[in-house]
Amino acid sequence: MDALTLELLNGASLFAILAIVALGLGIVFGLMGVINLAHGEFVMLGAYVAYVVHTVGLNHWLSVPLAAVVLFVLGVVIEVGLIRRIHRQPELTILATFGLSVCLRQVAELVFSKDFRSVPNPVPGATEAFGVLFPTYRYLLIAIAAVVVAATLLAFTRSRFGLVVRAIVADRDLAESAGIRTGMTNLCAFGVGAATAGIAGALVAPLGAVEPQAGLAYLPGAFLVVIVGGYNRLWGVAAGALTVAAVQTGVIHFYDAVWAQIASLALAVLVLQFRRPTPAGAVA
Amino acid sequence: MRLEATDLRSGYGTVPVLHGVSLTVSSGEIVALVGRNGAGKTTLVKTVLGVLRSTGGALHLDGVDITRMPPSRRVRAGLRATFQERALFGALTVSDNLRLSGFGSESHDRVLDAFGPALSGRGSQRTGTLSGGEQKMLAAAIALATDASLLVMDEPTEGLQPSNVALLGDHIESARDAGRGVLLIEQHLELAKRLADRFIVLEKGEVVDSGPAADPDLAARVARRLLI
Repeated sequence: MDALTLELLNGASLFAILAIVALGLGIVFGLMGVINLAHGEFVMLGAYVAYVVHTVGLNHWLSVPLAAVVLFVLGVVIEVGLIRRIHRQPELTILATFGLSVCLRQVAELVFSKDFRSVPNPVPGATEAFGVLFPTYRYLLIAIAAVVVAATLLAFTRSRFGLVVRAIVADRDLAESAGIRTGMTNLCAFGVGAATAGIAGALVAPLGAVEPQAGLAYLPGAFLVVIVGGYNRLWGVAAGALTVAAVQTGVIHFYDAVWAQIASLALAVLVLQFRRPTPAGAVA
Repeated sequence: MRLEATDLRSGYGTVPVLHGVSLTVSSGEIVALVGRNGAGKTTLVKTVLGVLRSTGGALHLDGVDITRMPPSRRVRAGLRATFQERALFGALTVSDNLRLSGFGSESHDRVLDAFGPALSGRGSQRTGTLSGGEQKMLAAAIALATDASLLVMDEPTEGLQPSNVALLGDHIESARDAGRGVLLIEQHLELAKRLADRFIVLEKGEVVDSGPAADPDLAARVARRLLI
């Protein structure tokens, strides 16, 4: 029973990380139809924000909003300088964001070197709950991810901004004809997508090494989540993260991590086989 | 406010549709643009609003060059269009469509009641589940209720029952009387004759005839062109 509880908590922790990393990817893909291959690098930069906050002696929790702000600004700059010009051409956005990901890794290497950096766990130790000991920081991670995902979903479904986003996704020309500034909405969406990646990076920084290649580890998982959950509904990101986390945790429990990855990929292929075709770019 | 198209050209890909259309629409007048299917009327509407990029010529709104402006800026400059198709967001509710056009919830009933009971109290209904005629009425009601100075309406009466055609005509006349300019694309010739101050006839992407609606010869020529 304890082993099962521990697996469930591990699954919840994995779900939290996957959901928060994939959220920004889902926003940018869902709204703009942009497949952002530099999303993992946004996560990596968020982790470096946490590292810088640690090295200057500030509280780790400050790095979460700071990473959001830094990455939002970076996202806005990238949208204006690059994405805006090509976002209606999917093949160009793939190439451009791939190039961007390489550039961002190189910049990180120039500034911070290739060395692995670490951010100390701000809440060391474990908490006993449900009859098992589980790292306290991971409990917090689950809670924070739940709040960030829920707040983002609410913002995109209940606010005027969310309504505008749904209108643009449904029919960009008609939205423009209703006086909606679609360019400004794209700008905000890309900025918010980058900001959520930054938050994810700052949150996962204490869990592993902070290094220029760190983002590469998160991108495949995030894409799996978006594929499984569906890019036509933002809440699908949460559902996709839950499904992928459940499959991975279950397979790891019975087999190992390699089979867990294979099972996740197989799940994605199966979902793609059975999903009805929908137009690219659709957050509902 | 005055909309002025000068030698306006546009098309789809490499296929030109408008071959240099020049026209004006001023405040306080209804200009009926008529022409047979394929004449380029809808292409003209899309080009005027900016959904379709012009390939030549110029568009001015009150002397300001709007030729390269995105549609949202043209709307904010006082231009508003209803499209023949895809005029509303079908997946959203009626209220959501009103909110997107800038109407606060306190004004929803006023807009929906403009066409009698047909749309009253249907704010929470998904727009795509309204009948074609009801969607046309809603699109027209929204456009007419905005504060746009210049309206471009692409076949707003298509699919409407006769009583609602007359009612819509009354609303368009009221808009004109309130000092707004209307470019009305209309196949319903009787309504166009009733409302229009001027006629413009479009054929194969070119203006082939125009003049005051009161001119009986022009009315006869228009009727002949549309029938042949």
